[in-house]
Amino acid sequence: MSKARKYTYFPGCMIPYRLPHFELTMTEVLKKLGVELETTPDHSCCPEPTTFTGVDFEAWVTIAARNVAVSEAIGNDTMAMCSGCFHTLAVANHMVHEDEELKERINKRLKASGLEVTGSHEVKNVLHVLRNDIGLDAIEKIVTNPLKKLRIAPHYGCHLVRPLEATNMDHADDPQWMDEVIRATGAEIAEFENKMACCGAPIMPSGEDKAVTITSKHLKNIKASGADAIVVVCPTCYTQLETQQAKAEAISDSEFRIPVLYLGELLALSMGLTDLVTANQRRYHRVKITELLEKAGGAS
Amino acid sequence: MLGRFLIIDLLLNPDCQKQGFVSTMVTKGKVLILEFRNWLLDQPEGETLLRCYQYGRCTSACPVADIEPSFNPRLFLQKILLSDELIAEEQLVWNCLTCEQCEVHCPEMVKIPHILILAKVRGLMAGNVPAAALDRAKTIVSQGRSLPVSPPMLKTREKMGLPDLGTPPMDQIVAMLADIGIVSKLEKVESVYGGSEDE
Amino acid sequence: MAKSAVVIGAGLSGIQVAQQLTDLGVTVHLIEKEAIIGGLSTYLGRVFPTGDCALCLDASGELFDGQHRRCQYRGLVTEKKNLKLYTQSEVKSITEEEGGFKVSIKSNPRHVDLDRCVVCLECIEVCDVEVPSTYCVRGGIRKAIYRPIPQGVPLAPLIDMENCTKCGKCVDICKVNAIDFEEKSSTKTIKADALILATGVEEKIPLDFPGYEYRTCDDILTHAELARLIDPAGDTNGVVTTSAGDAVSKVTMVLCVGSRDLTAYEYCSQACCTYSLKHAEMLRDLGIDVTICYMDLRVPKSSEHYLTQAREKGVKFLRGKPDKVVARDGKPVTIVEDTQSQKLMQIESDLVVLASPLASLGIEDASLNGFFAENGFAHRVVREGKVYACGTATGPTDIPTSIAEANAIALKVYSDLTGGV
Repeated sequence: MSKARKYTYFPGCMIPYRLPHFELTMTEVLKKLGVELETTPDHSCCPEPTTFTGVDFEAWVTIAARNVAVSEAIGNDTMAMCSGCFHTLAVANHMVHEDEELKERINKRLKASGLEVTGSHEVKNVLHVLRNDIGLDAIEKIVTNPLKKLRIAPHYGCHLVRPLEATNMDHADDPQWMDEVIRATGAEIAEFENKMACCGAPIMPSGEDKAVTITSKHLKNIKASGADAIVVVCPTCYTQLETQQAKAEAISDSEFRIPVLYLGELLALSMGLTDLVTANQRRYHRVKITELLEKAGGAS
Repeated sequence: MLGRFLIIDLLLNPDCQKQGFVSTMVTKGKVLILEFRNWLLDQPEGETLLRCYQYGRCTSACPVADIEPSFNPRLFLQKILLSDELIAEEQLVWNCLTCEQCEVHCPEMVKIPHILILAKVRGLMAGNVPAAALDRAKTIVSQGRSLPVSPPMLKTREKMGLPDLGTPPMDQIVAMLADIGIVSKLEKVESVYGGSEDE
Repeated sequence: MAKSAVVIGAGLSGIQVAQQLTDLGVTVHLIEKEAIIGGLSTYLGRVFPTGDCALCLDASGELFDGQHRRCQYRGLVTEKKNLKLYTQSEVKSITEEEGGFKVSIKSNPRHVDLDRCVVCLECIEVCDVEVPSTYCVRGGIRKAIYRPIPQGVPLAPLIDMENCTKCGKCVDICKVNAIDFEEKSSTKTIKADALILATGVEEKIPLDFPGYEYRTCDDILTHAELARLIDPAGDTNGVVTTSAGDAVSKVTMVLCVGSRDLTAYEYCSQACCTYSLKHAEMLRDLGIDVTICYMDLRVPKSSEHYLTQAREKGVKFLRGKPDKVVARDGKPVTIVEDTQSQKLMQIESDLVVLASPLASLGIEDASLNGFFAENGFAHRVVREGKVYACGTATGPTDIPTSIAEANAIALKVYSDLTGGV
């Protein structure tokens, strides 16, 4: 393989300042796959798409477009690790592309900082990078510890995939790219009902009981599939399904105890970077993953 | 609080006739301009509202409607089509997950969660915003982050060997939002329902 | 010299245009890929607006002649001198040359000689091989030597060599030596002055429409399947049962599944509202409860009585488009908002029937490339004097319209080829 691919990494807020183990594992995995990530202090909060949009949409799309403009000035494709950030940047980019008047209004606001948004920037998420840019073959090649014993339930989450016209993902109801990346690690997919079910997080501020009920229904379906773990890409889904799993258990009077892994952690386990996962397991995994790690094997 | 319809004398406000989306009703000799609806249709991606035929697939697809009978996306759209200003103050619209399950299955590809977002925006000044969302918005426009960045967390990053992400140029960002007036808007708003940030 | 035309597709409109043209003195080569003529009509049982058998081309007296019944079965197609019928045949290529076309077709062997067979059917009696039949919804079978439907034209059976064991029992019993296991495919090149596309439509099986579990539940059907279930000539003798064989007391119908949908088929398939009402009425006559979930009800003037009668017979109407039909404890459950009462319903029933899109068959055929527009359908006059289309190849429609169109195209073709009536 020739020289490293470079992406401008858009970090957002939740991953770097709440769940840094996401950033740690994915950065190291990408490094092994020949990818370099560069950051800039000019990026701000994306802004967060589930509530800020409903506070002031015009402000939201302007701040988002500014973040895209900052990336455009740097030149490399942008990779956002967080699904929310990815959604925000992709939607803003798409809207600017489609709506001339919007583009004009935004660029007028950006003028003073010397920035400009064109609407033709490449905004990517980790699946675009792993599956499309790097390729499944390249991933399989560096897997040293195939996770043959693991059955994984992939939780895509809504904002990673929708709306399809902005995200450039494969399918709005039945996406396959994360399934494929997971299979590349040697693990098996556990099929469960309602693949694209929402985790429930967006309505925690306005209707916690409803949110947690929705979470518990989803966890029930996943539990019924017999999966060893759920793998997520989004930090908000992670918080809802993992950190808040006890709430879902309480509201539905059930026991789930389903470990949740970030995709970067799963990949790390398959390619000799297990230490990165074990070093942080107590801090970031309320649902114990010790058994899961044993099943995964391959202590590095 | 705005009444159900905005009653305006057409002669005094000719610039209400924007982009051909003017809807009017004449009742008891008074001309009523369906202002909320027209405003929404004018927003980016608001025009898909007019494609709605009221089929109701959205409501039967919605995971919130499944557990809460009063949450009915089709009905919300119907009220917006009829320019019912009260929808902007309906707290239920904040129970939308923005999961887009409705949009994905809508035969007319109406951007339903987006339309509800616009209704939320419309109701901001009346206080129809969860306290947690308001707090988060204030943090974003003042610090450029959606959550407070604690020194211990910065240390953890350092220990993990992760890069220092710096701080964004907030003066630039706030300045560029001047024409929107978001900062002053946020200062004036008082949320009508509580709920603290639960993270 | 007599003019000639190739008609591709022997469904109702293909048969009608072929017959009209031969009556006008044009030599017609009628190409059909199935073993029998009739196309979609062979599945439909009784059809609207008159309730007559689908195989009849002349039932709708108010619209045209109506002087005689012309069932496909009553031999006009196989007995006319200048109408040559090729069944089990597909078009391989079409080349244009000197004011006409050369159409190359490949015919798969029937293994039963049409000139010898007297349709005694003893061969079918003695055959031991049983195979599921595409015309049977509840596991009904046919033999390896078989007739798809009893009234199918040509009347002679055919052999399905993939399942035939070549035991020879049929050969032995045949008193006219009509059976030949060794018959091979044949190719033929036909010269014609004009082409008429009558390739028709198929009822799209809703495999990929998200939410409707057609694939996983045998009690979720399409209308063609329901028609076979209701048909007294079908494998259940007209008794409507669930896949487990139980009696059916409740049926839910869903209209516009994948139709009028920007994410699937954008167009309206024209006939489904009416045939759904037709089936609803037939089910009510069997004492079965029916609920129809609709977005709109589109019923043409000549079929208005289906709607009136459906209401009179107590068919329930629910305005709302279901998002999903799921299988729970073996029964299909329809999840839909009743938009008039604003209630989200979970309707349990024994069967669910989905009205799925009528999709163009012609667009799938590579040899007909260029004749069909992007929406899958062809213009009636694709090229003046050369290529025409009629029936559902021009767009989904009902039977009377297809027949009327066939009549019109026949006259137009004749007029264009001979320079005037």
